[in-house]
Amino acid sequence: MAEPYAAVPTVIPYANWGQRVGAYLIDWIPQFVLIVLAVVTIRVPILAVLFWLASIGWIIYNRFYKAGTTGQSLGKKALNLKLVSEQTGQPIGALMAFVRDICHFVDGVICYVGFLFPLWDAKRQTIADKIVGTVVIPADTGY
Amino acid sequence: MVIRRVYSVPEHITMAGLCAGAIGAVSPVITAHTGAVGLPCPLRTLTGVPCPFCGLTTATVALTHGQWAAAASTSPLAYLVAALVVATTPVLLARAAGLTKPPRPWSAYARRRTRYTACIVVAMSWAFQLHRFGFV
Repeated sequence: MAEPYAAVPTVIPYANWGQRVGAYLIDWIPQFVLIVLAVVTIRVPILAVLFWLASIGWIIYNRFYKAGTTGQSLGKKALNLKLVSEQTGQPIGALMAFVRDICHFVDGVICYVGFLFPLWDAKRQTIADKIVGTVVIPADTGY
Repeated sequence: MVIRRVYSVPEHITMAGLCAGAIGAVSPVITAHTGAVGLPCPLRTLTGVPCPFCGLTTATVALTHGQWAAAASTSPLAYLVAALVVATTPVLLARAAGLTKPPRPWSAYARRRTRYTACIVVAMSWAFQLHRFGFV
């Protein structure tokens, strides 16, 4: 008879710090391009404002909506990672994804050391992850 | 629940330390052109109070340029990280070359002891920074 819980992994390969930095940088590329366009078109204020608003719209869509509802922002999707609740293993919703990014302030306020926490933390969480109760894992991991 | 690591925690910190050292080595060349002064500490910018990790950027740049006294008077914590980097780099290289086995997970006691030690080190660093900026 097969072991009933054989499919449940006992080892969770949390995403490492390098992968998480990579995902963040990919998330940041479209935003960077839009901000550069806003700066370049500064002499045409309407265009500059539109590009600036588009960069904010991108954050809302990518970091909050996509990451919250599917667990995968563009960067996480590109690197095959997902952001899930530590408790349920499910995506955390757009509102909590927003709260998580607000909590990144705590990671930044101590000379950005909070962003280094995944280097040594057992669950590779930043302080924001600990506050909101999230982990980043490979997308194909059963949780 | 167990974490699977290819490299140990000190090796991960060493990797980040090596990257920081490389950035510290070249950053004066870049900042000389841009006029930037590196990353400001948000806590100190907002409140004037330094955080335990203040001075790490300056100390890393100083260390990578052989300015030992300047590094020590800015952030002794940078010396500790540098010592870890120097001590762990051979292990890291051996691991990367496949000469050693993957690390064994630490015991719960060892983790707890390391956590307490880290807290004490951070507290001492904070006291040093508060003294450096004239708060104590």
